[in-house]
Amino acid sequence: MVTAMTKLVKVIIDDREYDFPAGMNLVDAAKQVDVTIPVFCYHPKMKPVGMCRMCLVEVGNIQKDRATGEVLLDDSGNPQIRWMPKLQTACTMNVSDGLVLRSTSKAVDEARRNVVEFLLTSHPLDCPICDKGGECPLQNQTMEYGPGESRMNFEDKKHLDKHVPLGDLIFLDEERCIQCGRCVRFQAEVAGDDVLAFHERGRDLQIITVSDPGFDTYFSGNTTDICPVGALTTTDFRFGARPWEMNSVPTLCNHCPVGCNTSASTRLDRDFGGKTMIKRIMARQNEQVNEIWMCDKGRFGHHFTRSEDRLLQPMVRAAGGSLSRETWADAVAAAAKLLGDANGSVAVIAGPSATNEDLFTLKQLAAGVGSTRLGAWPPTHAGADLVAKVGVGKGTNLSNLGKGDAVLVIATDLEEEAPIWRLRVKTAHDRGAYVVVANARKTRMDDFADAVTMYQTGHAATAFADLRKQHPEVAERLINANNLVVFAGAEGLTLDGSRALMQACANFLIETNHVGRANNGLVGVFPGANAMGQHYLGFSPEATRDIIANPPKVLILAQADVVADDPAAAAWLSKVETVISLSLFDDEATRQAKVVLPVQSFAERDGSYTNGERRVQRFYTAQGPIGEAIPAWQAVARIAEKLGQGKARLSAAQVMNDIVAAIPAFAGCKYSDLAKVEAQFPQVGGDDLYYGGTSYKNTGGLGVQIASAADNGEAVALGDVKADAVKGDLIVVPTVRLYNRERVFQASEAQLMAARVAAPYVEINAEDAARLAIHDGDMVQVSAGAAQPVKVRAHVNGAAPKGTVLLPRNLQQTATALTIAAGTVTKV
Amino acid sequence: MNILRGFATTFKHLLEEPITVQYPEQMRPFRERYKGRHHLRRYENGLEKCIGCALCAAACPADAIWVEAAENTDEQRFSPGERYAKTYEINMLRCIFCGYCEDACPTQAIQLGHEHQLSFTDRQDAIFTKDMLIDPTAIGVAGTPQQVEPGVYTRSIPDMENPR
Amino acid sequence: MLAEKYAARIDQIFSKYPTKRSAVMPLLHLAQEEFGYVNEEAIQQVAVLCDMDPTQVQSIAGFYTMYSERPKGKYWLQVCTDLACALRGADKFHKELKEHLGVEEGGTTEDGLFTVEHVMCLAACDKAPMLQCNFHFEENLDMDKMKARIEAWRAEAAAEKSGAKKASAKTKA
Repeated sequence: MVTAMTKLVKVIIDDREYDFPAGMNLVDAAKQVDVTIPVFCYHPKMKPVGMCRMCLVEVGNIQKDRATGEVLLDDSGNPQIRWMPKLQTACTMNVSDGLVLRSTSKAVDEARRNVVEFLLTSHPLDCPICDKGGECPLQNQTMEYGPGESRMNFEDKKHLDKHVPLGDLIFLDEERCIQCGRCVRFQAEVAGDDVLAFHERGRDLQIITVSDPGFDTYFSGNTTDICPVGALTTTDFRFGARPWEMNSVPTLCNHCPVGCNTSASTRLDRDFGGKTMIKRIMARQNEQVNEIWMCDKGRFGHHFTRSEDRLLQPMVRAAGGSLSRETWADAVAAAAKLLGDANGSVAVIAGPSATNEDLFTLKQLAAGVGSTRLGAWPPTHAGADLVAKVGVGKGTNLSNLGKGDAVLVIATDLEEEAPIWRLRVKTAHDRGAYVVVANARKTRMDDFADAVTMYQTGHAATAFADLRKQHPEVAERLINANNLVVFAGAEGLTLDGSRALMQACANFLIETNHVGRANNGLVGVFPGANAMGQHYLGFSPEATRDIIANPPKVLILAQADVVADDPAAAAWLSKVETVISLSLFDDEATRQAKVVLPVQSFAERDGSYTNGERRVQRFYTAQGPIGEAIPAWQAVARIAEKLGQGKARLSAAQVMNDIVAAIPAFAGCKYSDLAKVEAQFPQVGGDDLYYGGTSYKNTGGLGVQIASAADNGEAVALGDVKADAVKGDLIVVPTVRLYNRERVFQASEAQLMAARVAAPYVEINAEDAARLAIHDGDMVQVSAGAAQPVKVRAHVNGAAPKGTVLLPRNLQQTATALTIAAGTVTKV
Repeated sequence: MNILRGFATTFKHLLEEPITVQYPEQMRPFRERYKGRHHLRRYENGLEKCIGCALCAAACPADAIWVEAAENTDEQRFSPGERYAKTYEINMLRCIFCGYCEDACPTQAIQLGHEHQLSFTDRQDAIFTKDMLIDPTAIGVAGTPQQVEPGVYTRSIPDMENPR
Repeated sequence: MLAEKYAARIDQIFSKYPTKRSAVMPLLHLAQEEFGYVNEEAIQQVAVLCDMDPTQVQSIAGFYTMYSERPKGKYWLQVCTDLACALRGADKFHKELKEHLGVEEGGTTEDGLFTVEHVMCLAACDKAPMLQCNFHFEENLDMDKMKARIEAWRAEAAAEKSGAKKASAKTKA
């Protein structure tokens, strides 16, 4: 990062003088001034290794008089330059004062030609069938710098295995590998999952993985982006299309609160009825959100948009009880009639993937029929209002955290709930940030922590309040950190317990003056892509709780799969007289609805989400329509129009204009503002495939971060922490697994990730297991609170603390406990 | 005098054989390199030469070719190597018979033949699918997909030659 | 399990290094001694011992030629064919040795006794041609000498085998 403090040095590149901050890598520096130094192994996000030798350049130094420091001049008055006797690898050198670099010369050109020729000695002529062909750095650089002919004997090419699956998601073609090690280094340096390595040596050097399952990481897809050849390709996109045939549409990942910027590569396809289809999802650069990375769930989790279970047309339940197809006009009229007759006894529960526009129109519709009961689904995580107050300051970038800074991760399994945050906190840790993980159990994040503090299940808030007493040295580091970011989830907490924890975190941040500044503040690890949007638009989990307790006459379920999430949902839903369901899928709630309106997924429409760091980001229409589904906001607006609440808006952009006018937090979030982009470092994407990989340049907008109350200079007060915990001999804690059997992931599971989604299980502590005579692998029955008991396999792996069993949610078709509850486990 | 010279020409031609042929009953021979309708070629063992690389589609100036690829297995093998064309369509209404597809093809799978009598009564009929384009197999040779021994056809471009 | 069988030796190995990771190579040697070669089980056990990902352990076993990832004969004959040895007829010796035992390069005899492969310099150039049998040098070789050695090894193996048989017969009785 360039700051005013950074010393600038003068460097001459190709006879022109530039100033660069000292210590900058030569390849990066040249790139910044549009001088191309071709590379294969160097990557701006990783440490240089100088393995591929492609970046050889001529380097020299301006000679100075040792005594006076004066620049020595030659006979014609130019500075004397002492050139290094041999070519140097630019990637392993940094800029320094008086450095002179020649990026093209006879010697450099020849060196590059020889490097390429050598790389091609055993590289197969696979370009026509290679998925990388057309966006391949090796192909491009061979055209640019390589020899037209090879002096090598074609019969002597080394033949290796061309079809090696590294796990189920990535294929390795051993012949194509040029041994640059980018993938191996990415796994070690960036992802922190050491599951790739080199095997053998010399020409036999190959990439291997022996983890179980193979290539066991949530970030494997990124290696295909940064692979400079077609050695690593994804199973998902295998032979899907040629890169030049596809359009790239800026979109967003809707699986978690990180809000990764992604790019959907689309093409017409016979398999999708000749409509535009998403062939693959790749990362789109947004240095403040996901840099150039994304997780495998986002990359391979797009199949649900074309699932067989998608609802295709509106349906209305006839008097007899069966659903029948209707036109949109009739369905809208039926919904409007039900709402009009409800006498104000109306409530809305909106799911985590409803966009800002959907939520706003729902809010207006409810207001129009006299209701303010807006519930957020799932009702597990409280405290979004506190994040709005003391959330991370505007301009926060986790990449800026380093030495002297601190990160606290509490009550969340960050790897499973928000993988890219886990990756970015890990890299912050590598840069020297002090990372503290607090949880009632071991999580993967522990591997990247400086301190791990354990608390008793359900007592996160009190444990945190006592941090200064219990772990003074840890508290000290957090308090004195230059910058402090707190990631708080709600694992093992009730809704009130979650509020207590968020309040405790907020209090700590306020007391230690870590609010209202960039790189300081609170991040809620909420479920879904738009939990913060739910808050800003008036939807809250507390309201959901109230709706469940006091059922309204008419309940609108907007993309909330309540029956799949909550074992009690069937019971409380039956007390609601009428359900109007806006849904992607033919789900259980839909089967109980009076009116069913099919809505579009993120792929087929445009809209905006507010991510966990309160960044409002927009996504664009990528895929062709399915059936008669329309965007949820449009369906809602048509109902409102029918009820005489004013004309429906014509586009999502217009709805956003209404939001901007109505809700102060969204000031400056018009679509045109959200679409603004500015230069980012490193300059990845576009033609620069060789430099950063195939991650796309951001053309869709970097989004706008909503200012927190603290950012706006509003006084933020401390609040009371009302701890709430569940008591019992055995406490069932619902946990989150990244790969699960939610509706939005089932299609991807069936397509390619079957081996990655765990079979339903429960994790039991060894002592508890011994007491209950349960062994690892036994089938057990788990009952928690009022929920229906479920039969799952017991795991005794040491992950659960004593007195606690961990029951991952959404691993089976029937719902398991949504929130923490006392329960029992019995062997069956 | 001039008029006689004119008649002389006329009478001379009266005695010559006519150039006109009675098309379509009679056909003139084609030049070897005439560019007519496309064929997708096969190897002698019946496997398809096309590997679904879509370079023909990329080269096509009229955007007339549509290719979708899929993966071969040894149980269901269409072509040597890993990839074959699952969908291969040429819209003959769009095609300008320039032969760029033939030039672009790395396996010499697509070749322009001599048939030129293409007429349609429907736009849909003008789209030639893979079934229509691909050559029939020789007598006694199995068609595709074939079940083959593992490890025999690992390369898409079987005879790799030093480019000249 | 290595950890139980060689607990004392493993402790002694760990005591020589600042971190567990550093002990991976001696532990791989130990595993190779135990299993005859570095197999999957060895990789997994060493990975657990060193607190490393098995992939990294496999990588190390693959890089160094002193670790074998395939089963080997009881006598693992590594013939140096590098320049100095080659000048004294190591190539011919290597070829004749393979012919004598009837194996290909890297192959193992049918009785499972001998594996022959060529290696780079073993630092005994003054005593060429030479080979290394199970990490012990046999120097100044020619085929006559070699044939005698092979007979001796065969006899040794046979004696061990019959000894083992007798022992097992005894335990049965």
